[in-house]
Amino acid sequence: MKISYDHLVQYIQENPTIEQVSDSLFQLGHEHEIEGNIFDMEFTPNRGDCLSINGLLRDLGVFYTIELNQDIYKEKLDELQLDFENQLENICPQISFLKLEIDQVPELYKNSLEDYFSVLGLNKNNFFTDVSNYLSYETGQPTHCYDANTINNKLIFHEIESDEEFETLLDRKISLKGKNAVFSLNNKVINLAGVVGGKSTSCSTNTKTVIVECAFFQPEAIIGKSVKYDIQSEASHKFERGVDRECQDKVLRRFIKVVAEHTSIINMSIVSYEYEENKIHQIPVNIYKINQIIGIDLSENEYLNHLKKLGFVIQDGVIKVPAFRSDIKTQNDLAEEVARVIGYDNILRADINIPKNDKHNHKDIENKLRYFLLDHGFYEVINPPFVGISSKDAIKVDNPLDSNRQFLRTNLTNSLLDNLLHNERRQKDSIKLFEISDIYTLNNGLHKKRKLSIIASGRVGLNYQDFSKKINKKYLENIFQEILPNKDFDFKILSRDSLNTKIKNEIVSLEVDIDIFSNDILSYKEKSKPPEHFHKYSPISELPCSFKDISYSIKDYTKIKDLQDLLLNFKSDLIKDMFIFDYFKNEKLKEIKIGFRFIFQSKEQTLTTSQIELIYNDIVNMSLKIDGISIPGI
Amino acid sequence: MSEPKDISPPELIKDRGTLHPINHMKDYIMNLLISFGFEIVDGPEIETEEFNFDMLNIKKSHPARQMHDTFYLEKKSNLLRTHTSPVQIRGMLEKKPPLAFISGGKVYRKDDDATHLPMFHQVEGIYVDENVSFAQLKDLIYKIIYSLFGEGVELRFRPSYFPFTEPSAEVDILSKEGKWLEILGCGLVNPVVLENCNIDSTKHSGLAFGLGIERIAMLKHGVKDIREFYKSNLDFLSQFK
Repeated sequence: MKISYDHLVQYIQENPTIEQVSDSLFQLGHEHEIEGNIFDMEFTPNRGDCLSINGLLRDLGVFYTIELNQDIYKEKLDELQLDFENQLENICPQISFLKLEIDQVPELYKNSLEDYFSVLGLNKNNFFTDVSNYLSYETGQPTHCYDANTINNKLIFHEIESDEEFETLLDRKISLKGKNAVFSLNNKVINLAGVVGGKSTSCSTNTKTVIVECAFFQPEAIIGKSVKYDIQSEASHKFERGVDRECQDKVLRRFIKVVAEHTSIINMSIVSYEYEENKIHQIPVNIYKINQIIGIDLSENEYLNHLKKLGFVIQDGVIKVPAFRSDIKTQNDLAEEVARVIGYDNILRADINIPKNDKHNHKDIENKLRYFLLDHGFYEVINPPFVGISSKDAIKVDNPLDSNRQFLRTNLTNSLLDNLLHNERRQKDSIKLFEISDIYTLNNGLHKKRKLSIIASGRVGLNYQDFSKKINKKYLENIFQEILPNKDFDFKILSRDSLNTKIKNEIVSLEVDIDIFSNDILSYKEKSKPPEHFHKYSPISELPCSFKDISYSIKDYTKIKDLQDLLLNFKSDLIKDMFIFDYFKNEKLKEIKIGFRFIFQSKEQTLTTSQIELIYNDIVNMSLKIDGISIPGI
Repeated sequence: MSEPKDISPPELIKDRGTLHPINHMKDYIMNLLISFGFEIVDGPEIETEEFNFDMLNIKKSHPARQMHDTFYLEKKSNLLRTHTSPVQIRGMLEKKPPLAFISGGKVYRKDDDATHLPMFHQVEGIYVDENVSFAQLKDLIYKIIYSLFGEGVELRFRPSYFPFTEPSAEVDILSKEGKWLEILGCGLVNPVVLENCNIDSTKHSGLAFGLGIERIAMLKHGVKDIREFYKSNLDFLSQFK
């Protein structure tokens, strides 16, 4: 919600700066951003009472002297004769109607009303609706304006459960479905209660006689309606969070005053219905409890003074909660009020000592397994559980994000296969992945299994020993022999037939229950360690990469180190990776063959052959300056 | 031309894999909390409305319970947990105070954009004993954040609202660029929640806190887009060794 600093500060005697008001708002728990002179407020859902100038000033009153010089009409009003029936007194326990007839519709707005639209950059609609919107901003109480000439029969507030089309005052047709609390006239819905009024009875720029409805609706009856019908509604935002039941007379009298500032009122009358008395919530004064909750030593006097500033009434050892604070019910609620006034940051830390326990970490086996896989070059991945295709025992999501995510997966392998293809499309030729996750299925009840799944394809490794070896079942069986020599694992070869790829490497996978691994694996001595630092991430490139191989023939073995040092220290932003893919010592010829692979990739553009050649030639020329080294073919 | 007899082949560099950065961050935080005296409890990702909402004082009318925020399963018979708090409820029902639990794992909310995902990770903790105060909660939060971001970091506690804690707070840290960044939510356990778990709230009080793992990982690693964590791209994953 946007609230103008100027609109607040005009009522604050100390005239604080925008920064001072901002600090006060943060201390009170009202998060916001500042845009020019406007606070873009984000209130917590329990503080519906702050969704207005006056509401926010009530809270700021703990720090500043507030003087609300907003005039209201104070004279006695005639009683409005309105044919109205409330069939939902539990949902709407209090409602008032004001009927006003004006002489002329004003062309120009004055004072606060004009300022509201100009400062916040809002569009005007028609006079009465504009006054209504302004008063919602000023007081927090939404009102709804009917063109009085359209209310030609009994107005009924009731619940409907039939499908009915309803055209809103914003010219949108919506189909009401399920149960809805509505106002009806002549058996037609004219107002979706607390959310949006209808077009058929709305005010226009010519309206001179208005009926203003001012109501309290139970939040439970309003919550979810604006989302259900996709309606942006300031009113429902306020009703969902709860409005002040006791403000109706004051708000409607303020309505009269604002109208009177702009035009002559010919007739006015009011009627109020209170079906159920508003119970004032009372909490005993208990400073001991408050100090215990917060961990401070506040005197009872200080405590009660803080509460009084927030609008609480203290009488006979009891704290009476004001009607606009429906969120306050317990001593803990009161403790939070006091803590906000003191300032959370001003509450001193008190030493905490939780008794130490020496509980065994029940995930030891799982962790050992993870490090075993890391040692063999496997990368851990995490996949979301949602899939588009149903399978036997799959659990259905009632409200999926889209049709591709309407079931929960029943295996991890398919997710890993997607991950593998994602990396193959990015020219990765040695891929080893694993995931450990819970899998849920439905089969005569809900079943949970914790699974390990691995997938691997391509080269065994990117080093001269493993480069020419391809991953196959045997390779994975050998690895797992190391950790569990007496157990057979059912490795599977996944078919590439239905995959959109030209790559032929075998895809080997395994999916097993974690339960099958026993304490035996705890004796495995892992080589990998968790990272010592939280490395800063360098954004990755999604552009294609290319590689170039250079094979050297070395007669003077002492030069191998020089060559390695040269190539490892060769700097280029376009070289993403480099490794030795071939090493062979020919005893007969007294020659060492060593092959280096360079992977090229840019973060800005797809590299051309000539850009790669340029770097390649640099490498070749520099390395050939080392005596006793040659590149066969060059 | 000489041929030293002890010429050794180049170092054989075997690629080691990496833990997923989110799991690594989760483990790091859980281990930190274990060192403070917390004990790990586990619970299911598929929960009931009772444990995910009712027991935590999240009323039927609360917006979080709407279909647009929570994933419901099989005609609303179950749901994907929206936080790890139900695990603590289960823990409190099983054990009497003093108790100190942490739970970590995947949680689900119906969001999908550059800053929110339908699946993300949380670590939550709860400590219930006699006379646990907000001042002690502050001490614990300082200890956690100093361990994660260094002793020099500046903290700010802001009042907030969670149905299961009262008073409630959100905690920000000041970035090097001078911006306040939200790090975690915390508060004193709402007495209603203690009573729901058969714990006498006149005798016991508790503190609770929750951290979003992705948020912390993004700050620590400098990852700008949360979606990067779940593309399973080897160029991404290999950076977290």
